Amino acid sequence: MLEQARTRDCVILYKGDAYPVTVDPVMAATGWRGGQGVQWVSSSKDELLVTFSDGLYSGFLLWGSDESSDLHTASTRNQPAYQFTTIGAGGWIIMTNTFEKYTYTSRTGGGPLVPIVYNASDRLVFSLRGYFTKEDEWTLSGDPRAPNDYFIAFVIQAPSAVTSDYMTIQVSI
Amino acid sequence: MSELFRTRDCVVLFKGDAYTVSLSTALRNNGWSGGQGVMWEDSSLDEFRVTFSNGLYGGFLLWGSDESSDQYVSFLRNQVVVGAGVICLGGWLITTSTYEKYTYTSRTGGGPLIPIVYQEGLRLRFSLRGLWTIEDEWNLSNPLTSNPYFVGSVTQAPKASNNNYLGIQTSI
Repeated sequence: MLEQARTRDCVILYKGDAYPVTVDPVMAATGWRGGQGVQWVSSSKDELLVTFSDGLYSGFLLWGSDESSDLHTASTRNQPAYQFTTIGAGGWIIMTNTFEKYTYTSRTGGGPLVPIVYNASDRLVFSLRGYFTKEDEWTLSGDPRAPNDYFIAFVIQAPSAVTSDYMTIQVSI
Repeated sequence: MSELFRTRDCVVLFKGDAYTVSLSTALRNNGWSGGQGVMWEDSSLDEFRVTFSNGLYGGFLLWGSDESSDQYVSFLRNQVVVGAGVICLGGWLITTSTYEKYTYTSRTGGGPLIPIVYQEGLRLRFSLRGLWTIEDEWNLSNPLTSNPYFVGSVTQAPKASNNNYLGIQTSI
Protein backbone atom coordinates (compact mmCIF):
# COMPACT_ATOMS: atom_id res chain seq x y z
CA MET A 1 0.00 0.00 0.00
CA LEU A 2 1.25 3.46 -0.85
CA GLU A 3 2.32 5.28 2.32
CA GLN A 4 3.36 8.58 0.77
CA ALA A 5 1.34 11.12 -1.19
CA ARG A 6 3.40 11.49 -4.33
CA THR A 7 1.63 14.37 -6.03
CA ARG A 8 4.69 16.10 -7.49
CA ASP A 9 7.55 15.11 -9.78
CA CYS A 10 9.96 15.47 -6.87
CA VAL A 11 8.83 14.86 -3.30
CA ILE A 12 11.13 16.00 -0.49
CA LEU A 13 11.65 13.92 2.63
CA TYR A 14 14.79 15.70 3.89
CA LYS A 15 15.93 19.12 2.75
CA GLY A 16 19.48 20.13 1.86
CA ASP A 17 20.75 23.37 0.32
CA ALA A 18 18.49 25.33 -2.00
CA TYR A 19 18.94 28.57 -3.87
CA PRO A 20 17.40 30.43 -6.78
CA VAL A 21 19.08 30.43 -10.18
CA THR A 22 18.30 31.69 -13.66
CA VAL A 23 17.27 29.18 -16.33
CA ASP A 24 18.53 29.53 -19.89
CA PRO A 25 16.18 30.22 -22.84
CA VAL A 26 16.17 26.56 -23.88
CA MET A 27 14.78 25.48 -20.52
CA ALA A 28 12.29 28.32 -20.44
CA ALA A 29 11.03 27.37 -23.89
CA THR A 30 10.84 23.60 -23.47
CA GLY A 31 9.98 23.32 -19.77
CA TRP A 32 11.30 20.75 -17.36
CA ARG A 33 10.29 18.21 -14.77
CA GLY A 34 10.84 18.39 -11.03
CA GLY A 35 14.01 16.45 -10.21
CA GLN A 36 15.63 17.50 -13.49
CA GLY A 37 19.44 17.65 -13.28
CA VAL A 38 21.05 20.92 -14.32
CA GLN A 39 24.55 22.26 -14.81
CA TRP A 40 26.14 25.70 -14.76
CA VAL A 41 26.43 27.52 -18.05
CA SER A 42 28.14 30.73 -19.09
CA SER A 43 26.22 33.99 -19.21
CA SER A 44 27.09 37.47 -20.43
CA LYS A 45 25.25 38.83 -17.39
CA ASP A 46 26.12 38.78 -13.71
CA GLU A 47 23.79 35.88 -12.93
CA LEU A 48 23.95 32.23 -11.94
CA LEU A 49 22.64 30.48 -15.03
CA VAL A 50 21.80 26.79 -15.44
CA THR A 51 20.77 24.58 -18.32
CA PHE A 52 19.87 20.91 -18.72
CA SER A 53 22.60 18.64 -17.41
CA ASP A 54 24.41 16.48 -19.96
CA GLY A 55 26.15 14.48 -17.25
CA LEU A 56 27.75 17.37 -15.39
CA TYR A 57 25.98 18.74 -12.36
CA SER A 58 25.22 21.71 -10.26
CA GLY A 59 22.12 20.24 -8.68
CA PHE A 60 18.54 19.24 -9.43
CA LEU A 61 15.40 21.32 -9.77
CA LEU A 62 12.83 21.09 -7.02
CA TRP A 63 9.78 21.98 -9.04
CA GLY A 64 8.85 21.25 -12.60
CA SER A 65 7.77 24.05 -14.91
CA ASP A 66 4.30 22.69 -15.58
CA GLU A 67 3.36 20.31 -12.81
CA SER A 68 -0.29 19.42 -12.40
CA SER A 69 -0.14 20.41 -8.72
CA ASP A 70 0.60 23.99 -9.75
CA LEU A 71 -2.25 24.38 -12.20
CA HIS A 72 -4.99 26.86 -11.31
CA THR A 73 -2.69 28.49 -8.72
CA ALA A 74 -0.42 31.52 -8.80
CA SER A 75 2.52 29.17 -9.52
CA THR A 76 1.18 28.23 -12.93
CA ARG A 77 4.09 28.74 -15.35
CA ASN A 78 5.62 31.20 -12.92
CA GLN A 79 9.15 29.81 -13.32
CA PRO A 80 9.44 29.73 -17.13
CA ALA A 81 7.77 33.14 -17.41
CA TYR A 82 10.34 34.75 -15.11
CA GLN A 83 13.13 32.38 -16.19
CA PHE A 84 14.11 31.37 -12.70
CA THR A 85 13.90 28.24 -10.62
CA THR A 86 15.15 26.69 -7.38
CA ILE A 87 18.11 24.37 -7.40
CA GLY A 88 18.78 21.68 -4.80
CA ALA A 89 22.37 20.76 -3.83
CA GLY A 90 24.12 19.19 -0.87
CA GLY A 91 22.38 16.34 0.94
CA TRP A 92 18.74 15.59 0.24
CA ILE A 93 16.39 12.65 0.45
CA ILE A 94 13.84 12.83 -2.34
CA MET A 95 11.35 10.67 -4.16
CA THR A 96 11.09 11.34 -7.87
CA ASN A 97 9.79 9.90 -11.09
CA THR A 98 12.37 11.89 -13.07
CA PHE A 99 14.87 9.17 -13.79
CA GLU A 100 15.80 7.07 -16.79
CA LYS A 101 13.37 4.17 -17.02
CA TYR A 102 14.97 2.44 -20.02
CA THR A 103 18.53 1.69 -21.00
CA TYR A 104 20.37 4.21 -23.13
CA THR A 105 21.05 1.59 -25.78
CA SER A 106 17.40 0.63 -26.13
CA ARG A 107 16.23 4.26 -26.12
CA THR A 108 18.60 5.21 -28.94
CA GLY A 109 18.80 1.93 -30.84
CA GLY A 110 15.27 1.81 -32.24
CA GLY A 111 14.49 -1.63 -30.82
CA PRO A 112 12.22 -2.57 -27.91
CA LEU A 113 12.68 -0.54 -24.75
CA VAL A 114 14.61 -2.41 -22.06
CA PRO A 115 13.91 -1.30 -18.48
CA ILE A 116 16.79 -0.34 -16.22
CA VAL A 117 16.70 -2.42 -13.05
CA TYR A 118 17.49 -0.22 -10.06
CA ASN A 119 18.52 -1.61 -6.70
CA ALA A 120 19.01 0.00 -3.34
CA SER A 121 22.55 1.41 -2.97
CA ASP A 122 23.12 1.79 -6.69
CA ARG A 123 25.17 4.92 -7.37
CA LEU A 124 23.62 7.46 -9.72
CA VAL A 125 24.87 10.01 -12.24
CA PHE A 126 22.96 12.33 -14.54
CA SER A 127 22.16 11.05 -18.02
CA LEU A 128 22.82 12.99 -21.21
CA ARG A 129 19.46 14.71 -20.71
CA GLY A 130 19.93 15.27 -16.99
CA TYR A 131 17.86 12.48 -15.49
CA PHE A 132 19.06 10.35 -12.60
CA THR A 133 20.41 7.06 -13.95
CA LYS A 134 22.75 4.24 -12.98
CA GLU A 135 24.17 4.04 -16.50
CA ASP A 136 27.25 5.94 -17.64
CA GLU A 137 25.88 7.47 -20.83
CA TRP A 138 29.17 9.18 -21.60
CA THR A 139 30.73 5.77 -22.06
CA LEU A 140 27.69 4.29 -23.82
CA SER A 141 27.52 7.17 -26.30
CA GLY A 142 31.26 7.38 -26.93
CA ASP A 143 31.45 10.82 -25.33
CA PRO A 144 35.12 11.89 -25.10
CA ARG A 145 34.56 12.90 -21.48
CA ALA A 146 33.93 9.25 -20.51
CA PRO A 147 33.83 7.75 -18.02
CA ASN A 148 31.38 9.80 -16.02
CA ASP A 149 32.52 9.54 -12.42
CA TYR A 150 30.37 12.41 -11.17
CA PHE A 151 28.27 10.32 -8.85
CA ILE A 152 25.70 12.56 -7.22
CA ALA A 153 23.33 10.16 -5.44
CA PHE A 154 22.46 6.71 -4.11
CA VAL A 155 19.27 4.71 -4.55
CA ILE A 156 17.41 4.32 -1.26
CA GLN A 157 14.30 2.66 -2.61
CA ALA A 158 14.05 1.17 -6.09
CA PRO A 159 10.97 2.04 -8.13
CA SER A 160 8.15 -0.48 -7.80
CA ALA A 161 4.38 -0.74 -7.71
CA VAL A 162 4.31 0.03 -4.00
CA THR A 163 6.12 3.35 -4.62
CA SER A 164 4.02 4.32 -7.64
CA ASP A 165 7.21 3.74 -9.62
CA TYR A 166 8.92 6.64 -7.89
CA MET A 167 12.57 6.18 -6.96
CA THR A 168 13.79 7.35 -3.55
CA ILE A 169 17.23 8.90 -3.69
CA GLN A 170 19.86 10.12 -1.25
CA VAL A 171 21.41 13.08 -2.99
CA SER A 172 25.02 14.13 -2.29
CA ILE A 173 26.04 17.10 -4.44
CA MET B 1 27.20 45.54 -15.19
CA SER B 2 27.81 43.89 -11.86
CA GLU B 3 24.58 43.02 -10.06
CA LEU B 4 26.23 42.30 -6.72
CA PHE B 5 28.16 44.42 -4.27
CA ARG B 6 31.52 42.71 -4.26
CA THR B 7 33.11 44.73 -1.52
CA ARG B 8 34.86 41.81 0.19
CA ASP B 9 37.34 39.16 -0.94
CA CYS B 10 34.70 36.50 -0.50
CA VAL B 11 31.02 37.30 -0.95
CA VAL B 12 28.52 34.73 0.34
CA LEU B 13 25.38 33.97 -1.64
CA PHE B 14 24.42 30.79 0.21
CA LYS B 15 25.81 29.74 3.56
CA GLY B 16 27.08 26.26 4.50
CA ASP B 17 28.86 25.12 7.65
CA ALA B 18 31.09 27.55 9.56
CA TYR B 19 33.02 27.42 12.81
CA THR B 20 35.88 29.09 14.62
CA VAL B 21 39.45 27.79 14.38
CA SER B 22 42.89 28.86 15.57
CA LEU B 23 45.31 30.29 13.05
CA SER B 24 48.88 29.15 12.45
CA THR B 25 51.83 31.44 12.95
CA ALA B 26 52.28 31.59 9.18
CA LEU B 27 48.74 32.86 8.71
CA ARG B 28 49.06 35.42 11.50
CA ASN B 29 52.41 36.70 10.26
CA ASN B 30 51.55 36.91 6.59
CA GLY B 31 47.84 37.66 6.57
CA TRP B 32 45.44 36.17 4.08
CA SER B 33 42.60 37.01 1.71
CA GLY B 34 39.01 36.01 2.29
CA GLY B 35 38.32 32.74 0.49
CA GLN B 36 41.83 31.44 1.31
CA GLY B 37 41.99 27.63 1.41
CA VAL B 38 43.31 26.18 4.65
CA MET B 39 44.26 22.76 5.98
CA TRP B 40 44.56 21.35 9.48
CA GLU B 41 47.88 21.71 11.30
CA ASP B 42 49.24 19.99 14.42
CA SER B 43 49.25 22.00 17.61
CA SER B 44 50.66 21.40 21.08
CA LEU B 45 47.56 23.08 22.49
CA ASP B 46 44.03 21.70 22.70
CA GLU B 47 42.79 23.65 19.71
CA PHE B 48 41.74 23.22 16.09
CA ARG B 49 44.46 24.95 14.12
CA VAL B 50 44.68 25.65 10.41
CA THR B 51 47.37 26.93 8.10
CA PHE B 52 47.64 27.74 4.41
CA SER B 53 46.45 24.87 2.25
CA ASN B 54 49.01 23.23 -0.01
CA GLY B 55 46.35 21.32 -1.93
CA LEU B 56 44.85 19.55 1.08
CA TYR B 57 41.77 21.04 2.63
CA GLY B 58 39.96 21.78 5.83
CA GLY B 59 37.91 24.53 4.27
CA PHE B 60 38.28 28.16 3.32
CA LEU B 61 38.49 31.29 5.46
CA LEU B 62 35.47 33.51 5.33
CA TRP B 63 37.12 36.84 5.99
CA GLY B 64 40.54 38.13 5.03
CA SER B 65 42.93 39.46 7.66
CA ASP B 66 43.16 42.99 6.32
CA GLU B 67 40.20 43.62 4.07
CA SER B 68 39.43 47.19 3.14
CA SER B 69 35.83 46.75 4.32
CA ASP B 70 37.15 46.20 7.85
CA GLN B 71 39.25 49.35 8.02
CA TYR B 72 38.27 51.95 10.62
CA VAL B 73 36.00 49.52 12.48
CA SER B 74 36.59 47.46 15.61
CA PHE B 75 37.12 44.37 13.44
CA LEU B 76 40.38 45.86 12.18
CA ARG B 77 43.07 43.13 12.43
CA ASN B 78 40.93 41.41 15.04
CA GLN B 79 41.53 37.91 13.67
CA VAL B 80 45.30 38.33 13.47
CA VAL B 81 45.62 39.67 17.02
CA VAL B 82 43.31 37.12 18.61
CA GLY B 83 44.59 34.28 16.43
CA ALA B 84 41.18 33.03 15.38
CA GLY B 85 39.41 32.82 12.05
CA VAL B 86 36.18 31.43 10.69
CA ILE B 87 36.48 28.35 8.51
CA CYS B 88 33.81 27.36 6.00
CA LEU B 89 33.03 23.91 4.69
CA GLY B 90 30.15 21.92 3.30
CA GLY B 91 28.08 23.50 0.56
CA TRP B 92 28.45 27.22 -0.03
CA LEU B 93 27.73 29.46 -2.96
CA ILE B 94 30.36 32.19 -3.04
CA THR B 95 31.94 34.67 -5.38
CA THR B 96 35.58 35.47 -4.66
CA SER B 97 38.66 37.20 -5.97
CA THR B 98 40.92 34.69 -4.20
CA TYR B 99 41.78 32.27 -6.99
CA GLU B 100 44.74 31.58 -9.23
CA LYS B 101 44.67 34.00 -12.16
CA TYR B 102 47.69 32.59 -14.02
CA THR B 103 48.89 29.10 -14.81
CA TYR B 104 51.27 27.43 -12.41
CA THR B 105 53.83 26.93 -15.16
CA SER B 106 53.86 30.58 -16.16
CA ARG B 107 53.98 31.75 -12.53
CA THR B 108 56.98 29.60 -11.73
CA GLY B 109 58.72 29.51 -15.09
CA GLY B 110 59.85 33.10 -15.29
CA GLY B 111 58.21 33.78 -18.65
CA PRO B 112 55.12 35.85 -19.43
CA LEU B 113 52.09 35.19 -17.25
CA ILE B 114 49.42 33.08 -18.96
CA PRO B 115 45.86 33.52 -17.68
CA ILE B 116 43.90 30.46 -16.57
CA VAL B 117 40.62 30.22 -18.50
CA TYR B 118 37.81 29.28 -16.13
CA GLN B 119 34.54 27.86 -17.44
CA GLU B 120 31.28 27.03 -15.72
CA GLY B 121 31.15 23.46 -14.44
CA LEU B 122 34.91 22.95 -14.14
CA ARG B 123 35.98 21.36 -10.88
CA LEU B 124 38.27 23.18 -8.50
CA ARG B 125 41.09 22.23 -6.16
CA PHE B 126 43.30 24.30 -3.90
CA SER B 127 46.66 25.32 -5.34
CA LEU B 128 49.98 24.87 -3.57
CA ARG B 129 49.32 28.17 -1.82
CA GLY B 130 45.69 27.45 -1.09
CA LEU B 131 43.98 29.50 -3.77
CA TRP B 132 41.12 28.10 -5.85
CA THR B 133 42.29 26.74 -9.21
CA ILE B 134 41.33 24.32 -11.96
CA GLU B 135 44.92 23.15 -12.25
CA ASP B 136 46.43 20.19 -10.43
CA GLU B 137 49.53 21.81 -9.00
CA TRP B 138 50.64 18.64 -7.28
CA ASN B 139 50.99 17.03 -10.69
CA LEU B 140 52.45 20.11 -12.33
CA SER B 141 55.13 20.38 -9.65
CA ASN B 142 55.72 16.63 -9.40
CA PRO B 143 54.46 14.40 -12.25
CA LEU B 144 54.45 11.39 -9.93
CA THR B 145 51.64 12.85 -7.84
CA SER B 146 48.12 14.04 -8.49
CA ASN B 147 45.61 15.92 -6.37
CA PRO B 148 42.23 14.18 -6.22
CA TYR B 149 40.78 16.59 -3.65
CA PHE B 150 38.12 18.51 -5.56
CA VAL B 151 36.52 21.09 -3.30
CA GLY B 152 34.28 23.08 -5.59
CA SER B 153 33.03 23.77 -9.07
CA VAL B 154 32.75 26.94 -11.12
CA THR B 155 29.32 28.56 -11.20
CA GLN B 156 30.39 31.77 -12.89
CA ALA B 157 33.64 32.40 -14.74
CA PRO B 158 35.48 35.68 -14.01
CA LYS B 159 34.60 38.48 -16.43
CA ALA B 160 34.11 42.22 -16.56
CA SER B 161 30.45 42.04 -15.60
CA ASN B 162 31.25 40.34 -12.29
CA ASN B 163 34.33 42.42 -11.48
CA ASN B 164 36.51 39.40 -12.33
CA TYR B 165 35.27 37.47 -9.31
CA LEU B 166 35.01 33.69 -9.58
CA GLY B 167 31.65 32.13 -8.69
CA ILE B 168 32.04 28.85 -6.81
CA GLN B 169 29.76 26.10 -5.53
CA THR B 170 31.80 24.54 -2.75
CA SER B 171 31.58 20.92 -1.70
CA ILE B 172 33.94 20.26 1.20
